[in-house]
Amino acid sequence: MAVVFDGVAYGLQLGLLAVGLTMIYGLGGVLNLAHGQFAVLAAIAIAVLSDRLPTPAALVAGLAIAALAALATDATIMRAVYRLDGEARVLLSLLLTIGLAFVIDGLLIYNYPFTQLKLSVPGPAVDILGVPMRRGSLAASALALSALALLIVFLRYTRRGRAVRSVIQDEEGAQLCGIDPARVRTAVFALSGALAGLAAVAEGLTSSVSATDGTELTILALIVTVVGGLGSVAGALLAGLLLGLVYTMSQVYIGTYVTLVILLLTAMVTILIRPAGLLGRGV
Amino acid sequence: MLQVEDLDAGYGESLAVHAVSLHVDGGEAVAVIGSNGAGKTTLLRAICGLLRPRAGTVTFNSESLVGEPAHRIARRGVAYVPAERHLFPAMSVQENLELGAYPLRADRRQLELVFELFPRLRDLLSQQAGTMSGGEQQMLAVGRALMSRPGLLMLDEPTTGLAPILAEEAYASLGVLRGEGTTVLVAEQQVPLALDLADRAYVIEDGRIQMEGPAGDLQGNPDVRRAYMGIA
Ligand SMILES: Nc1ncnc2c1ncn2[C@@H]1O[C@H](COP(=O)(O)OP(=O)(O)OP(=O)(O)O)[C@@H](O)[C@H]1O
Ligand SMILES: [Mg+2]
Repeated sequence: MAVVFDGVAYGLQLGLLAVGLTMIYGLGGVLNLAHGQFAVLAAIAIAVLSDRLPTPAALVAGLAIAALAALATDATIMRAVYRLDGEARVLLSLLLTIGLAFVIDGLLIYNYPFTQLKLSVPGPAVDILGVPMRRGSLAASALALSALALLIVFLRYTRRGRAVRSVIQDEEGAQLCGIDPARVRTAVFALSGALAGLAAVAEGLTSSVSATDGTELTILALIVTVVGGLGSVAGALLAGLLLGLVYTMSQVYIGTYVTLVILLLTAMVTILIRPAGLLGRGV
Repeated sequence: MLQVEDLDAGYGESLAVHAVSLHVDGGEAVAVIGSNGAGKTTLLRAICGLLRPRAGTVTFNSESLVGEPAHRIARRGVAYVPAERHLFPAMSVQENLELGAYPLRADRRQLELVFELFPRLRDLLSQQAGTMSGGEQQMLAVGRALMSRPGLLMLDEPTTGLAPILAEEAYASLGVLRGEGTTVLVAEQQVPLALDLADRAYVIEDGRIQMEGPAGDLQGNPDVRRAYMGIA
């Protein structure tokens, strides 16, 4: 039971980490391999700013910094990427965002080698259905769950959220409705930066985030996105939960050193059975 | 209302539309007829901004549309219904219609007008667009375009993929719209249907306008009858 709870808690975090990545793919057919680096950027910013600001202000500032970094990326690198079509577009996005990931990694590791984001929620473990859960873990789950719920409400029930989905489903149709796909992509890119930052905060509540974690977070987000179906928000959530459960179970029953391998195997099996991912449309 | 002068448009190196000039006046229904590959789609896409014209001018209500992106041209009041429809497949009929009115925000009255024209859409309000039949999708595509209260409604082969009866029904609804004063520009291979609807028509072949005139005259023209209506 405890394993299941931990798995769900971690799964929600994975879902939160992946939604931004999958929306960007859905909107423009590009992958952002600096996604985890945006998360780490927010984490380090929050850790550094917490020395000078009250925690809530540091949190807001950190998320804003990640969103601004994403905006800057959209205004520079992505401009070039969106000018291309099809395969060339994906490939250029991969190359340029890997480059960006190296740059962010380098800057953060050089300047903040020992900084860690570790957010503690003091107090004894809370008993849930007979399972003692750490408060940090509960806070992380609540954070991930409410962020995801807000995102889904935004996408389903607001006018602008529908505009985002319209571009994902049919870009030309959206243009014919008077919607500017470039503007939608820019807004969602910024949003994805903030969401990655939130995922880092959740991670900071359960364990810790340091400057070297970007690549691992990017890879995790990528696995979740692919398993869920590129471009599907609900798929990312579902895949997050599945992989979160697999992750914690394999940690408990098999051992930490093979968990990443087992995650990859799970992803592989899913793709073999459902090439478009759990909730992906076609291929 | 719409004025196209010497329009060139194409793909890569080659031109698919050469020096096309046409005009549509307010309240008119105009057809562009021609066979496969004649350049009809290219012409309409160049007008609505999905394809950038190479040369020539397009003016709508005396404002130039050349170089404007498609979403701005849509906001100016030029609605385009592509042959492939480009609906939002995983959204309901209602969401599709509401997105049609995106720049205006949801518009109850316009929605009622669309339901008056296509009562079927009211019954299907919560159905996903991707699961509807071809005829229903065609209604939804036209309905979505009307939601923006367009000044000009452009349609590319609205009969694509429809059985003959449904094709006639589609043109019957266009006839109703025309009767209400909507300005229509339609590209069509189903020449008899289009000429029945239209006030005037242009014949396009190999990207060039070959003939133009009142629809009634073209209906009686022996060349048109032989080439497009299967009548000797
Ligand atoms: N995306 C494209 N890339 C390159 N050439 C194209 C493209 N689309 C159309 N063409 C070419 O442009 C010419 C005109 O095509 P267009 O689609 O405008 O004709 P059409 O009159 O709409 O034909 P149909 O009735 O079959 O739809 C054709 O020779 C076609 O092969
Ligand atoms: Mg065509």
